[in-house]
Amino acid sequence: MGRYVIRRLLQAIPLLFIISVLLFVLMRSASDPVATLGGRSNPRPEERARLTRVLGLDKPLYLQYVFWLIGNDWAKFDADGDGVAETPGQLKGVLRGDFGRSLARRGEAVTKIIWERMPYTLLLLGVAEVVIILFSLLIGVFSALRQYSLMDHIITALAFIGYSMPIFFIAIVSIYVFGVKFQQWGLPSLPTGGTHDLQVGPTVGQTALHLILPVASIAIISIAGYSRFVRATMLEVMSEDYVRTAKAKGLRRLRIIFVHALKNASLPLVTIIGMDIPMLLGGALVTEQIFGWPGTGKMFLFHTIRGDTAVVMGVLMLISVAVIIFQILTDITYAWLDPRIRYE
Amino acid sequence: MKKLGLQIVGVWVVLTMLVGSLVTCGPTPTPQVAAEATATPEPVDKVVTFAWTQEPDSLNPWYTDMWFSGLLQQLYLCWAWEFDENNVAFPRLVTELPSPANGGVSADGRVITMNLRDDIVWSDGTPITSADFVFTYNMIMDGGNAVDSQYPYDMVESIEAPDERTVVITFTEPYTPWQAQLWRGLLPKHVLEPVFTEKASIQEAEWNRAPTVGCGPFVFAEWQSGNYLRFVKNEKYWLGAPKLDDVYFKFVDDASQTAALIAGDADIGTFPPLSDVPSLQEAGLTVMVQSSGYQEGLFFNFREMANPGARDLRVRQAVAMAIDREAINRDLLLGLSRPVETFWDGLAAAGYVPSDIVPWKYDPEAAKALLEEAGWTDTNGDGLRENAAGEPLTLVHGTTVREIRQDIQAVLQQQLKAVGIDLQLVAEESDLFFGSFSDGAACAVGSVDMMEWSDSPLVPDPDTDYWLCAQVPSAENDWGYNYFGCDETLDGLFQQQLVAIDPAVRAPIVQQIAKYIHDQVYWYGLYDDPDYWIVGPRLTNVRFSGVTPFFSIAEWDVTE
Repeated sequence: MGRYVIRRLLQAIPLLFIISVLLFVLMRSASDPVATLGGRSNPRPEERARLTRVLGLDKPLYLQYVFWLIGNDWAKFDADGDGVAETPGQLKGVLRGDFGRSLARRGEAVTKIIWERMPYTLLLLGVAEVVIILFSLLIGVFSALRQYSLMDHIITALAFIGYSMPIFFIAIVSIYVFGVKFQQWGLPSLPTGGTHDLQVGPTVGQTALHLILPVASIAIISIAGYSRFVRATMLEVMSEDYVRTAKAKGLRRLRIIFVHALKNASLPLVTIIGMDIPMLLGGALVTEQIFGWPGTGKMFLFHTIRGDTAVVMGVLMLISVAVIIFQILTDITYAWLDPRIRYE
Repeated sequence: MKKLGLQIVGVWVVLTMLVGSLVTCGPTPTPQVAAEATATPEPVDKVVTFAWTQEPDSLNPWYTDMWFSGLLQQLYLCWAWEFDENNVAFPRLVTELPSPANGGVSADGRVITMNLRDDIVWSDGTPITSADFVFTYNMIMDGGNAVDSQYPYDMVESIEAPDERTVVITFTEPYTPWQAQLWRGLLPKHVLEPVFTEKASIQEAEWNRAPTVGCGPFVFAEWQSGNYLRFVKNEKYWLGAPKLDDVYFKFVDDASQTAALIAGDADIGTFPPLSDVPSLQEAGLTVMVQSSGYQEGLFFNFREMANPGARDLRVRQAVAMAIDREAINRDLLLGLSRPVETFWDGLAAAGYVPSDIVPWKYDPEAAKALLEEAGWTDTNGDGLRENAAGEPLTLVHGTTVREIRQDIQAVLQQQLKAVGIDLQLVAEESDLFFGSFSDGAACAVGSVDMMEWSDSPLVPDPDTDYWLCAQVPSAENDWGYNYFGCDETLDGLFQQQLVAIDPAVRAPIVQQIAKYIHDQVYWYGLYDDPDYWIVGPRLTNVRFSGVTPFFSIAEWDVTE
């Protein structure tokens, strides 16, 4: 197992390199950061030329990538436009832990920008993931054990409705119903956005209250999908010989379901969750935007629109690294859960 | 295995709690509700929350061009002069507005002399002096600072401070729009100079994100990225402390702004979806409309690559008569705007719009007759017109992906089809639409015949360099922004007004330009595009300007 993990990690190095090149080229080709600096108007040609020079965007693409990767503190730049490169570069490069400076939030370190948002995303999506797993398992198992019953049909119908609804629709409708209409009807209402009531402060209670709607919006769609998945695998497992044997041995029904059957039925779910978790880092773009939740998704959108390559690359590389690590962890968990699996 | 499952869940819960504690361990604002059971209740703080749909990128005025950032600056920064609800300038840091009459503007229009008030101070009590102006200029022009725009300071020959209260700005050439463009934000020399001395740049200065020393009626207090900005009363504001205690700017999405306002989570918002206006009004909020000089209009391409129709004056006039602007205003804008005739309608009060402008009237029959006269007839009976050479009257309408513009495109297509004009539609993201000539961007290479967006002159100044011949894009002028064409007459008039120092001389020239563009249908106004403010019932004494919207925020108050 140890050699397997080391091999996978070594394989990840060229993979990350290729990913970084592709993302960098795509990002720089698809956006014009200087165009976003003009507010309501386009920058004047002379301003554009100056900004392109001082922000280092006049350099060839490969050189911009090299600076991003290994830094530019070994090179000099022409800051004043006199044709003489006299100003030393400041970047150390990703390989030395410096993800660069933001262009939209001029001069601010990318790592700082990402880390100030990360706790919010991890909280929102961490809670959402717990809710998703819990409810998916409960609903999936319940539905499988009552296959073709009235409740199973109702759950199936609701799951299809939930799965087919776009998240922005759920989010906006939930804001209007629970935030606006409930208040108008004189019922206890939920906040329409943010992380806390600004005049009360960021207390645990306030944060929990403000989490309800965004978590519900994220969870509904995933629960609808995952619960169908759990139902299907649970039905498959419940007809296995070892479950029949367990029943014949007279084990309690709950023990058979939750210890013997669910353990195996949830194996494929591990893969899905393993792929979900690294995506948490990228944030829930739509949900964070609509609910004004200050996570990485909202930040990612802002910097993408602004063509802010350094920040966008920082987030994307973080996700790429997390995907690779969690894939390895998923494989390890799989082997741990299922002794038949061996990695050489 | 059961243990493993429990362990995983346990670790997850602990991690979530840890992250939760990170999120909730921020500073808690002072409770706003007075303690109960006291004989004399403490006065309740006056707090106002803005629903703000765009988070600023920087609080340093020279590192942002975002409209939403510029508005905030009026809370914690100060301009040499500001503009009232009629968009008329009034002195703020200066004793009086420079003018030729008081000697503040030299006879040749190159030298502007400002006399500063003697009671102006930064929020930490340090006096604001002419050295702050010189320092601000030096920071804008220093290559190491990479500010967003150096305009118009790159046209300045020198800025001098003969004494603490006098600033003398000398331009290389006469520069008439100085009042609209100069000193939109002042930097505190005593705070930023040490940073610049140490790092040869203020790009990474803490002040850019946390300008704790300012000169506006409020002082920066807190910026929680992605969440909110908070400003508190500036007790040292030289015009007297404002009536409000705290002002929050809560960052919300366009889609949820209306909900936040109706639910009372915010007191004031801006630019709501127009379809939400009735719901907002029903909920007791007031819609305040403030002219900003911006107007939505069609810019016609009369360059050689445009369709012959677009280059034909009579076709452009026919288009002007075939469009029912009242219907667009009524059906798409809920009657909240009005048609405009000239690019300068927003400055009509300043005398830049001639009185002899004849508004274009919706008259499809007259439009058809004009097209016939111009030789555009329907020869094959398909309902669309062609010229003698058989070229179809197909115009390409290009705009950005803003929803209202795409709705208007569809309406224009129908209205023009009714008079036999085929309208092809193009809608692109603005960075593509306004891209360079070498990138083949639609506007730059002239692949669109009519372009629609909202724009203004340099309000409150009438100058604009849109139609200058020197700005026509080409291989040599990759980023030129005169996408419309070179008209020597028009170019000459623009050059004349730019050096006309005397307003009495300048106004008639601008009037001439406005009439020329109107009659030539180089620009066709669709509707006035004002600033929309949604104001909650708690707020009183609220006034806005179209140039410096929060010019009176120190006087705003709340009633509970």
